[in-house]
Amino acid sequence: MNRVYYPELDETVCREILDNGLRVCVVPRQGFSKKLAYLVTDYGSIHTDFSLDGREYTAPAGVAHYLEHKMFDLPGGRDVSAEFAALGANTNAFTGYDLTAYYFSCTEHFEECLRLLVEFVSTPYFTDESVEKERGIIDQEIGMYADTPDSQVFELLARSMYEKHPIRVPILGTSETIRQITPEVLYTCHRAFYTPGNMLLCVVGDVDPEQVCGIARQVLGSERHPTGVKHKDWDEAMHCSVKEVRDRMDVAMPMFNLAFKCPATGTGDAAIRQEMVADLASEALFGESSELYLRLYEEGIIDSSFGGGFETLDGCAMLMCSGDSEDAEAVRTAILAEAEKLTQTGMDPQRFLRMKRSALGRRIRGLDSFDATCYRLCAYHFADFDYFRFPEIYRDIREDEILEFLHRAVREDNCCLSVIDPIDRAEEV
Amino acid sequence: MIEKLTLAPLVTLRCCRDSRFKQGCLSIQLVRTMKEEESAKNALLPSVLLRGTERCPDLRAITDALDLLYGASVSPLVRRVGDYQTTGLYCGFMDDRFALPGDQVLEPTLAFLEELLLDSPTENGGFLPAFVESEKRNLIAAIEAERNDKRIYAANQLLQAMGREDTFGLPRMGRKEQVERIDPVELMEHYRTILRTSPIEIFYVGSADSNRVARLLQPLLARLDRCPVPLLPQTPFHPGPREDLTEALDVTQGKLCMGFTTPITNRHPDYAAMHLMETVFGGGMTSKLFQNVRERLSLCYFVSSSYYSTKGVLVVSAGIDFDKEERTRQEILTQLEACVQGRITEEELTAARESVLNGLRATHDSPNSIEGFYATRMLCGVDLNLADYMDAIRAVTLEDVIRAAASVKLQTTYFLKGARK
Repeated sequence: MNRVYYPELDETVCREILDNGLRVCVVPRQGFSKKLAYLVTDYGSIHTDFSLDGREYTAPAGVAHYLEHKMFDLPGGRDVSAEFAALGANTNAFTGYDLTAYYFSCTEHFEECLRLLVEFVSTPYFTDESVEKERGIIDQEIGMYADTPDSQVFELLARSMYEKHPIRVPILGTSETIRQITPEVLYTCHRAFYTPGNMLLCVVGDVDPEQVCGIARQVLGSERHPTGVKHKDWDEAMHCSVKEVRDRMDVAMPMFNLAFKCPATGTGDAAIRQEMVADLASEALFGESSELYLRLYEEGIIDSSFGGGFETLDGCAMLMCSGDSEDAEAVRTAILAEAEKLTQTGMDPQRFLRMKRSALGRRIRGLDSFDATCYRLCAYHFADFDYFRFPEIYRDIREDEILEFLHRAVREDNCCLSVIDPIDRAEEV
Repeated sequence: MIEKLTLAPLVTLRCCRDSRFKQGCLSIQLVRTMKEEESAKNALLPSVLLRGTERCPDLRAITDALDLLYGASVSPLVRRVGDYQTTGLYCGFMDDRFALPGDQVLEPTLAFLEELLLDSPTENGGFLPAFVESEKRNLIAAIEAERNDKRIYAANQLLQAMGREDTFGLPRMGRKEQVERIDPVELMEHYRTILRTSPIEIFYVGSADSNRVARLLQPLLARLDRCPVPLLPQTPFHPGPREDLTEALDVTQGKLCMGFTTPITNRHPDYAAMHLMETVFGGGMTSKLFQNVRERLSLCYFVSSSYYSTKGVLVVSAGIDFDKEERTRQEILTQLEACVQGRITEEELTAARESVLNGLRATHDSPNSIEGFYATRMLCGVDLNLADYMDAIRAVTLEDVIRAAASVKLQTTYFLKGARK
């Protein structure tokens, strides 16, 4: 097993690739009770088009999420949640645009829990009856998000801003698309993307790394299986043809998402550097210590709900901010003007250093969270980067890279504003 | 594990020394009795304090100072714990060992905390009107934004209705009209009063020993002119009449909330039994509510219960189709009745017990959860020792759980349905 110590973070990571292709990553943390394990597949809601064994597939929208719900059933009427509960562990899962994660946390019975995690995620078992029953539950989940303005304002943005990239489709799909999901569809997607070679097992806690690998080997065997080939015909123009889009809901104040479409960052060291540059650039442009934030806050155009950063996923990236505001157009105007001003005048070198130090400190503090650490290690792993190397990347970032990014990214042409306005209650009655 | 130091009359420092973490945290809370006339002021105060000091006159200077402290954060801390409301600040900071050689974080962070608490710029004896007005707008926006998420909105509507006769019915951040009326001079007077008279609870988690923390807090405490008044103890819930409420708004999904009361609070000998009963009934994926309302009947995606143990209030909430209200309501009551009748399997009880113990064991694994657990528990009037409480959880029998279930009575229900267009 490959073991690396990161002195700047006082952390150790052990890594191994098993014969079956599964990647294993363990962060041993002595003296902690909690143990957290993530089993993640490099497959999310956007990966609906793929080929497997020479056949082409187009799965209905929402299939990755539906599959995630149904993985919790095992043959023989076994209930995964109940088995974890009997071991005193909490288990859950989530589906993102480009990955699906299953996890548990426990303080005791770690071995049994890990065995169960690897077993249930690698055992597809779907019947017509159980798949049918889940539809009502997922329909209610769709209904819950329909009533959540934060989700609606983002979905509105994504489907207006993107013409090809499937981020424009909600992760859950719609009531209509989920009707097309059958056990056969689920079996196919599982066979395509839940192969050990497409997955990562990441554990944080006071555990023995060799034992983690041993359990994964025992449950999954050593055979490799072919993984589905994702079709990513998402050649997205950077231009946004829809510049502004609005809807109404029962909210107290208008709520907005403002985003600038950026080229996908790709993978590897260069990509991560680009991402951290973009993150610092967003900090410089509209972070809490920026001139712009101060001005807009003092003028009452934004409030403490305002925030933003750089978001990346498979095949797309955007610089985004969001918040509540009576005048979202003014936020857009101010951000465009500020980016232009910054690229012309540059940054105060002292301020740039302070900003880097602060961003670094916040990332180090973030490592105290087992969940955030596990999630970051997984997400960066699929982007082919070792997350614990962030201090060295930060050290090297120069001011001109930040300005260069702002110059390229923050333009009217690739900008889209999505707003949820309050319902006019007087009109309603 | 938790060391308690009395720094002055009714000024308590609790320290959890732990060097496993990459960050430390320190909270300082002024503890008040929740009152209609001051809850809005207490909610507003910390945000005004964070707007500027004599040395750092605006937000940008404040953030610059925090950036220099390796991205330390100071945020408003306003909590409701039973009959009490706390107002104060919460600091999170990187541990000294990750700083550049020769640099310190804890010491300058605490000095900055003193500055934020005691060196606000003033005008005519009050806070700066510009700061107060802008934070009033923000607070009003935050109060109104509780309407945005209809799950939260529905639960708040229920709690306010069922708590009409209790402090529990007062809104956590005050009411819009009360915020509008606050003026900068009056707010400063209120702040001076509560600094002088309120019990002060300070909680620290991190690698420093308690004497060092106490020493670093000395300059702050030396500047306080204290005449503290002890608080009245927490009281049990005062229920109003039984009610069923319905409201219509523009929503896609109905939100059903059912409010129950129990005489068992966290000060009651049956607290551990009630904690387990609530977990069996509606806590998590193995609970009766999840297994029946969601998994067996597919009525909803979310259904769960929460137990407000300081008051002895239990709330169930579910998101359902508009026409499934009666069916869901009946099923929730059926599952409670199953608990009262003792129809609880060995597996259900074990799962609940293990889940609670697992949560308690993990409490000591992050600075936030340590602070959150102890800093609220001690305000409940329970001097809770984690190990003793875990023993109490282990000792709970099925009969104890049945007795706890039998004490639960339905008081108020609230249903949010769609408005016809």
